[in-house]
Amino acid sequence: MSTFVARNGIGESQRRLEDFRFLTGHGQYIDDINLENQTYAMVLRSPEAHADIKSIDVSEAQALDGVLLIVTGEDWKAAGYDPIPTKSGVRKFKDGSDLKEPPHHPIAIDRVRYVGQPVALVVAESLDICRDALELIDVDYDSLPAVSHQSAAIKDGAPQIWDIAPNNICLDFELGDEEAQKKAFEAADHVITLELVNNRVTAAPIEPRGALADYDAATGKYTLWNSSQNIHANRDTMADTVLKIGKDNLHHIAPDVGGGFGAKNGVYQEPILILHATKQLGRPVKWINDRAESFLSDTHGRDQVSKVQLALDNDGTFRGLRTETVGNLGAFCGTVGPFTPTGGSSRTQGGPFRFDGIYYTAIAPFTNTCPLDPYRGAGRPEGSYQMDRIIDYAAAKLGMDPIELRRKNLIPESALPMKSPMGLDIDCGNFPEVFERTLQLSDREGYAKRKEATETKGLKRGFGVCMYLECTGGGPKEEATVKFRDDGKVDLSVGSSSTGMGHETVFAQLLAGHLGLPIEDISFHQADTDATSLGGGHGGSRGLEVGGSAVTQTSREIIEVGKKIAAHRFDVDADRVAFEDGRFHVPDTNHTMTIRDAIDAQNDPENLPDDLEPGCMNVSSVFERGVISIPNGGHACEVEVDADTGSIKVDGYWVVDDFGTIVNKMLADGQVMGGIAQGIGQALLENIVYDESGQLVTGSLMDYALPRADDIPNMVIGYYEDAPTQKNLLGVKGAGEAGCVGAPPAVVNAVCDALKEFGVHHIDMPLTPERVWRAIQDAKSNN
Amino acid sequence: MPAITVRVNGLEVTKEVEARTLLSTFIREQLKLTGTHVGCDTSQCGACVVTVNGMTVKSCATFAWEADGAEIGTIEGLSEGDDLHPMQAAFREHHGLQCGFCTPGMVMTAVQMVKDNPDIDEAGIRHGLEGNICRCTGYQNIIEAVKTGAKAMRG
Amino acid sequence: MYEFGIKTPTSIDDVKTALGEAEDGQFLAGGQTLIPVLKQRLAMPSDLISLSRVGELSGIKVSGDGISIKAMTTHAAVAADDDVKSAIPALARLAGGIGDPHVRNRGTIGGSIANNDPAADYPAAVLGLGATVITTEREIDADNFFTGMFDTSLKEGELITEIAFPIPEVAAYIKFPNPATRYALVGVMVAKNGNTVRVAVTGAGPCVFRVPEMEQALTASFSPDSIKDGMVADDDLNNDIHASGYYRAHLIGVLARRAVAEANG
Repeated sequence: MSTFVARNGIGESQRRLEDFRFLTGHGQYIDDINLENQTYAMVLRSPEAHADIKSIDVSEAQALDGVLLIVTGEDWKAAGYDPIPTKSGVRKFKDGSDLKEPPHHPIAIDRVRYVGQPVALVVAESLDICRDALELIDVDYDSLPAVSHQSAAIKDGAPQIWDIAPNNICLDFELGDEEAQKKAFEAADHVITLELVNNRVTAAPIEPRGALADYDAATGKYTLWNSSQNIHANRDTMADTVLKIGKDNLHHIAPDVGGGFGAKNGVYQEPILILHATKQLGRPVKWINDRAESFLSDTHGRDQVSKVQLALDNDGTFRGLRTETVGNLGAFCGTVGPFTPTGGSSRTQGGPFRFDGIYYTAIAPFTNTCPLDPYRGAGRPEGSYQMDRIIDYAAAKLGMDPIELRRKNLIPESALPMKSPMGLDIDCGNFPEVFERTLQLSDREGYAKRKEATETKGLKRGFGVCMYLECTGGGPKEEATVKFRDDGKVDLSVGSSSTGMGHETVFAQLLAGHLGLPIEDISFHQADTDATSLGGGHGGSRGLEVGGSAVTQTSREIIEVGKKIAAHRFDVDADRVAFEDGRFHVPDTNHTMTIRDAIDAQNDPENLPDDLEPGCMNVSSVFERGVISIPNGGHACEVEVDADTGSIKVDGYWVVDDFGTIVNKMLADGQVMGGIAQGIGQALLENIVYDESGQLVTGSLMDYALPRADDIPNMVIGYYEDAPTQKNLLGVKGAGEAGCVGAPPAVVNAVCDALKEFGVHHIDMPLTPERVWRAIQDAKSNN
Repeated sequence: MPAITVRVNGLEVTKEVEARTLLSTFIREQLKLTGTHVGCDTSQCGACVVTVNGMTVKSCATFAWEADGAEIGTIEGLSEGDDLHPMQAAFREHHGLQCGFCTPGMVMTAVQMVKDNPDIDEAGIRHGLEGNICRCTGYQNIIEAVKTGAKAMRG
Repeated sequence: MYEFGIKTPTSIDDVKTALGEAEDGQFLAGGQTLIPVLKQRLAMPSDLISLSRVGELSGIKVSGDGISIKAMTTHAAVAADDDVKSAIPALARLAGGIGDPHVRNRGTIGGSIANNDPAADYPAAVLGLGATVITTEREIDADNFFTGMFDTSLKEGELITEIAFPIPEVAAYIKFPNPATRYALVGVMVAKNGNTVRVAVTGAGPCVFRVPEMEQALTASFSPDSIKDGMVADDDLNNDIHASGYYRAHLIGVLARRAVAEANG
C-alpha cells in the first residue's frame, strides 16, 4: 500500500523510513563494511602531554610477521604533505592581525603536544598484530612542562606550546559596543558579577569514529568511507589542501553514522593517514577507534570560563551586559575550533532580552589538551548559560523574582524585526508569549503541592527557567537532486548528512508531499561526493533550514517543468496550468494529468515542448540561505535535591520552542529530547578532566558519566508555530541544538532555587553530589 | 583452536574460534551478523547485547567458546521477513531510535526484559535499561516504545 | 588480548588438575571484570580455567540459620531467589543492584569477592553479614578474607566454592552509586543479629571495612540517631574525581543512618 503524505509534506509525524534497517540489524555503519584483501590500522598515541620526540624505533615492530607498514612523523615530513588548516570564521585579532595557526599535521612531527596525539600508524594483516606491533614501537620522549587549563595557559611563565603564539594566545576577540555597555553600567543601580565555568565535555556518539580507505592504482582514485558528518568540505581539505591529490580523485562517502553531535564534523588525522597508507600498500586499510581512544582523540566541546556582569536598575530593568571569556582551544586550531569561544559564543549574548549596551570579549589560548571543536550548539549553549544564570544570580542577590525579571525585560513582539546589539537579524518570534506558554505548560499552579510532597520525603524542590535565543549556522548552501528512474522509483540526493536526525524520512516526506508521490517510492541518498556536487554536511541545526529548503526548491522547479509538459499536451499556455495534490490541471477544463503521467512523458521528445529536453524533470537545484534563522524558546525544570547527600533528581521538564514551521513533530520532539538529555548530562554528570600535567583523567566510560535511562525525566514539549521565518522556503528555524542550549541553565537555576534557603546561589557544572553538598556546607558556615 | 557449535537465531552453526575471540567478534566477523555493535571497551554501553540461553549478555564481555552449545539470539533473528517483532514496531512507532547504533542492544534488552516481566512498569523499564546507553533520544521515546512493545507482547 | 589457552573442567577435582597443568593459570568465573582487563592487555595468563561448567559450584541452599550460595551463582540468580529474598532481603536487593542486568546475568558472587574490587557491592554483604568463605582448602571468616585493594587471603590456586551467610534478624544495604560505573561510590551494609551489630562499608576505602564505633553505638541502641558524624575518619578514604575522602566519610554516616532506618522497617 502506498502512503501519500500531507500536502507539501508539512505537519505530519511521518514514521521513519530508515528505521526498518536499523531495527533489524541491517544498518551499515563503518565497521560493518569490509573489502576484499583489507588490512587493519591502529594508531600509536602519545602518552605525553608535551614532549620532544628524540627518536622512534620501529625496527622490532616492522619485523613482526604480518606488519605491513608503519608511518611516523619522519615519513610524513619526507612526503611533503601540508598541514590541516582551520576553517574558523573568525581569523583576526582585535588589532587586525591574523590568528596564530600552528601547523597541524595528522601525525606528530618532532614534538607531541597532547596525550593521544598520533605518533605512529601501524598497518597489519589483523588487529591483533597491530596491537602487538604498537607495543614494540619504542619512542624516546623528552618531557616538557605542560599546561592543561586555559586560565593557567595565559599566565606569565606558563609553558609555551607554540613559538608563534606568545602567552599561548591563538586569538582574541570582541563584539558589541563597549562604550554603550560602560554607559549602561554607569547609569544602572546595580552591577552583578558572576564567574562561570562551562565544563569541558565530549560528544561521545555511541559509534566510535572510523574509516576505510581504498586506492585504485589503475584510475589513481581513492575511496574513503568515513564515519563523518561533513563529507564534501572535508574531502576538499584532505584531498586538495593536505594530500594534494585533487578532490576529484577522492570519492568520500559516509555510510550510516552512529551519532555525531558535532564531534564528527571536523577533519581528523586518522582518515588522512590511512589514505596515505592505502596508496603505499595498494590494499584497502581500515581503522576503527576504540572507546578509550575516542576519549583521547574526539574533539572536545565547551570548556570556557567567563566573567559575566549584568547591570540593572532597582525596578529590575536590564541596562547592560558584559562577558569576558577565556575559551580553551587545545593544542591546535580545530577545524573551526577558534570560532566557538569567539564568534560562536558572542552572537546570542543578551538572549531575547532588551539591553542598552552589550559587550563581549574573548581570549582563546592553546593548551596541552586534545583540540576542541563544535559540540552541539558550539557557543550558543555557553551564551545562554551565561545569560540565564546571571539573571537568576542577580535575582537572588537583589531579592527579586527571576520569573518577573525575565518577564520585564523580554523583547516585545512589537519590536521585531530588529537587529540585536550583537548583529543578529531577529526577524520574527514572540518571546513574551513563548515565555508565558512555557510557564503554563509547567503547571505553576501545581508547584506548591509538588513541593510539599518533595519536602515530605525530606528533600528540597526547586524550579528553574531559561529563555534561550539561538541562531543556526553551518554551510549556507545545499543541493537537492531528483532523478526519476525507469522502475518508477525516485532518487533524491541531498548534500547534507544525517547522523540520526531522520533526513531520509523528512526530505522524502517533503518531496513526496510537494509532488504528491507515495513516500515509499523515494530512495534517499546522502553524504556521498558522487551523489551531489556540493554538500554542507551536518551542523548548526541546518538540516531542514538549508537541506529542506533545497528539496522544496527542487520540487518547485520540477513542478514548473511538469506544467510545461502538461501545457504542451493540452495545448495551452503553461501559466494556465495549476498543480495540486499530485495533478496538473487546467482550471475550467477537463484537462488533467498526474505527476506520474508527466514523469512518464518526460523521456520522449514527442511529449515535450521545444524548450525542454528528455529527462527535463530530473532536476538538481542549489538553495542558498541568505541569513541564519533565530530559534528561541523557554525551558522549565523542576528538581529534587537531597541536601544530606547533594544528589539531584530532575523531576519535571517542560519546553516551548519556536522553531517556526514544524515539518515533522515526532522528529522535532526527538531532537529536543536528545538535546535536553545532553544538556542535563553536562549540567549534572559529564566532565572531561585533565590533571595539571595534561594527563586525561576521564579516559573511559568508567570515569566519564553519560546519562542513563534513570537520569533523564520525561519531558513535555510544545511549539510556538505562529512565527514562521521568511529566511528560508519552509519557515523553519532549526531544531537540532536547542535542547542542549536551554537545558544547562534551566537545571542549574532549578537546583539553586531549591538551595536558596541555605544561601546557595551558584554551583559550577557539573553539579555532582559532592559539589552540591559542599556548597550547602560552605553556605551554612558563611551564614 | 576450539570448534564451537551454537544455535544462532535458530540455526545451528559450527565454527573454529580462537580462545580470545569475543562473542561479539564471533557474531560480527565470523557469522557476518553486523547488527550487534561494539560501542565501548569497558562493558558500559550495551550496544553489543545479545541473548544467550534466554538471558541478555554483553557479547563484548563473553568469550565465544563460553557460548558453546548455547542458543544465541541477535537482532537479526527478531523480525520475520518484513514483519517486525512487536518491540521493533514499537520502537519505530515511538521514534525510540535516532542514529540506530545502540538500537539492537536496546531492543534485545527490551524484549528479554518484557519476557521476564510482562507487567513491567516505567521505573522497572528505566532500571532494566541501566546497562544500555543511548546518546541520541533522551530515553523517553525508548521507554514509551518498551511500554507499547510490552503491551503488544502480552497480546 | 594476548593469546592464551583455555581449560573447561567439569568438576572441582578437574579444576585442580587443570590449574596444575597450566603454567600461569587464571580462573575465569563470569568474566565481567577479567575480560575487560584482558582486552586492555593488563593481564597475561597462560591459560584461562573456566569454572562455568563445574556444576557443583552453582546453587543456593538454605539451612536452619543460614544460606549458602555456591561461588558460580550469578548476581541475577541471587537477586531472583525466593529463599534469599525471604531470608536476607537485603542480600537479594544488593545483588539486584550490581552493575546492570547483563552484568548480573554473567557475574558471580565468587568472582566478585575473589576480585575484591574496592567499589564492589558483594564484599559489603560478606563482611557486613559476617559470612564465611568456603574454599577448596578451608573456611575463612569474612573478617579475615578481605586483606586490601584487589587483595584477599586466598592462596595461589585456592578456589572459593561457596559463601555461607548467617541469616540476620534485620539487615539493609544502601548504595550511593558512582554516576559513571554504578559501582558503589559508597555502600553501607548494616546487619543486626541478637546483640551483634555489624556495619561494613564498601567503595569508600581501598578495601571494604567495618566501623567499630558505629557497631558499638548501634549495639547500645539500634537507631539511626546512634550514628554520629565523624565516626569514620576521612584520612584513609579514597580521593578521586568522583568524590573526596571527606565527602565519602560524610556519606558513610548518612547511608548508615538510612540503612538502620530501613532495617528497622
